[in-house]
Amino acid sequence: MSEYENKTMRTLESDMSQNMQQANAEAQVANAIVGLLDGQVQHIDAEFAGRLSTARGLAVNRLVERQAQMASAHGIGRSGNVLQLFGGHVGQYLGHHRFMSFMLVGAAILIAFFAAEQFGFNNNLEHSDAFLLASDLPPEAYADKGFDTWLDTTAD
Amino acid sequence: MVRYNGRLKCIVLALVLLFSGLSFAEDANVSWAQLNDAQRKVLNPLASEWDTLRPWQREKMLDIARDYSKMTPSKQALVQNRLTNWSRMTPYERENARKKHQQFQALSPAKKEELRRKWLEYQKYSEAQQQKLRAESPDTYTDADLE
Repeated sequence: MSEYENKTMRTLESDMSQNMQQANAEAQVANAIVGLLDGQVQHIDAEFAGRLSTARGLAVNRLVERQAQMASAHGIGRSGNVLQLFGGHVGQYLGHHRFMSFMLVGAAILIAFFAAEQFGFNNNLEHSDAFLLASDLPPEAYADKGFDTWLDTTAD
Repeated sequence: MVRYNGRLKCIVLALVLLFSGLSFAEDANVSWAQLNDAQRKVLNPLASEWDTLRPWQREKMLDIARDYSKMTPSKQALVQNRLTNWSRMTPYERENARKKHQQFQALSPAKKEELRRKWLEYQKYSEAQQQKLRAESPDTYTDADLE
């Protein structure tokens, strides 16, 4: 090992030793603070203990609510509301206004129903009775079985 | 939440059924006096017997009146001429005519022309001859069909 390498190793060991001493000192101070707080907490009066407990409860509840909001804003919430897929403000808004979103779904169903009915109507127009009556042959021609029989005999 | 969703679906379905049911009932029960001018004009050949028609017959005739406006004047004239006979046909005869009309529509123009020609030829037969041909038909209408 060269002289330079030996010198570097010694410097590193010295730095590590200093860091460990500093960490030990910080741990000792922290332990002293915890000991002091533990000692004092035995003497805290009931009113302060109650206020601290209430404040802690409020803080925990608030944290839980915020986490739930964030979870529902970025995906389908536990309610399974599909409109929340819009994400961001729109999804959040609609998620909070379920009545509004249900109305939208209802309106979409009605529109689809009437559109299908209209499409079916247009599609069946050529088969409607009106077009049968206006056909090249009168309705009697289609219904007359004697005509069918006669067609069969003349075809033979 | 599930219960709320189910209730909403029921309400939407009920509304759809209610609206379609209302429109059907309204069409089916309309008397001659309640028809509008356009409907009366189209259905004029049936004026004297309109109020004796059954609700489902009236509904079918109203469908014809609705589609009438989409036709050319020559087709409209055909509809008016044939309407009385059509209304006097039995449901079985009408259903049979609808099926045959659909088959006719699928034929080639040449075949359609041939059938038109043959119908005119058939019309030259006397009523007795036509009646004989009807009786020879393998699927002659039974009394039940004509009710």
